[in-house]
Amino acid sequence: MKQENYISVKTFCQHHGVKESFVYSMYEFELLQIDDSKEEALLSTDELPILEKMVRLHKELDINPEGVQAVYHLLQQVEGLQEEVAALKRKLDRFDL
Amino acid sequence: MEFIDYYKVLGIDKSATADAIKKAYRKLARKYHPDLNPNDKEAELNFKKVNEANEVLSDPEKRKKYDQYGKDWQHADEFEKAKRANSQGRSRSSSGYTYSHAGGSEQDFSDFFESMFGGASSFGGRGQKVRFRGEDYHAKLQLSLMDVYTTQKQTLTVNGKNIRLTIPAGIEDEQTIKIKGHGGPGIQGGPAGDLYITFSITNNTAFKRDGADLYKTVQIPLTKAVLGGEILVETLTGKVKLKVAPGTNNGTKVKLKGKGFPKYKKEGEFGDLFLTYTVDIPKNLTEEQKSLFEALEKTNLA
Repeated sequence: MKQENYISVKTFCQHHGVKESFVYSMYEFELLQIDDSKEEALLSTDELPILEKMVRLHKELDINPEGVQAVYHLLQQVEGLQEEVAALKRKLDRFDL
Repeated sequence: MEFIDYYKVLGIDKSATADAIKKAYRKLARKYHPDLNPNDKEAELNFKKVNEANEVLSDPEKRKKYDQYGKDWQHADEFEKAKRANSQGRSRSSSGYTYSHAGGSEQDFSDFFESMFGGASSFGGRGQKVRFRGEDYHAKLQLSLMDVYTTQKQTLTVNGKNIRLTIPAGIEDEQTIKIKGHGGPGIQGGPAGDLYITFSITNNTAFKRDGADLYKTVQIPLTKAVLGGEILVETLTGKVKLKVAPGTNNGTKVKLKGKGFPKYKKEGEFGDLFLTYTVDIPKNLTEEQKSLFEALEKTNLA
């Protein structure tokens, strides 16, 4: 495990002005992983894009953790559908319409 | 430069209270927030407009200035003169409602806004930008289908940095690849963002593509369809000779194995080329040909 690829939950929360309980609820909802085997709870920096998005939704749009979880699942569906539409469009291209 | 009616953008009355403005802004921000509208350029643009409107109308001083000049925008000349006197040395083209796009959800402003209130620098972030990790960059790269028939090495310059890029053969149209760590720098020791490159692949060949398979319609003369024979067919890599079986029907499909497009990230593997035959029915017959067909008809040929 390379130390530089991790950030402590505490540091993250200080940077973003968000409560640690928010990050833990994201963990509880299985939106991200937290490594709590060490003295300090750590987040992989790979989780940051998702977590920062969730923090933005929480802070900018006043969405509570439960709402954020729902949004997360819907977003995944939207992105899956967007991919599917793109694939279908490519297939349709075969036929002269 | 176009006048922007910020009240209209937020869908509120000119007499709206600060509270009503806030409410209207939050409602629209939820609708257009880029995190809720993935890959939606229109929503992104709307989000910027809404933010800009809020930036002006939620600030009593800016709102006052906007209300003052806003209603006289038709007399833009005087305003422009005053502006020139006020702020020298700002070199920025001012035409139309354009946004300088920096990618991501970074705030940026219309020319109208900048000419009235100066650049975005006059007021730092209002705690809107939530990031520690650097910004993700999004870029689009246009290639032709034949470009991606082979694996390409290309050097891109993104924000002054050269990035060597290997584009695997067979990449799909609108496929996005992520280049880790080549986005914006992190803030206070945070990790850098990523660079996303979306490929736009234009197909100006005679072939239709679906993944690694290629499709093409080939016309064959009526006589070859009936009697059989050989035809020459163009593939992506040159001409091939094909045997047409006697009695080939219109719409018959033929598969040429391995004559398709390279499979993405499977070196040396290719898809197939599917040909569909359409039988060319002759239209301008000579008298002789016509009588031959009539003779055929008399043989009760079905």
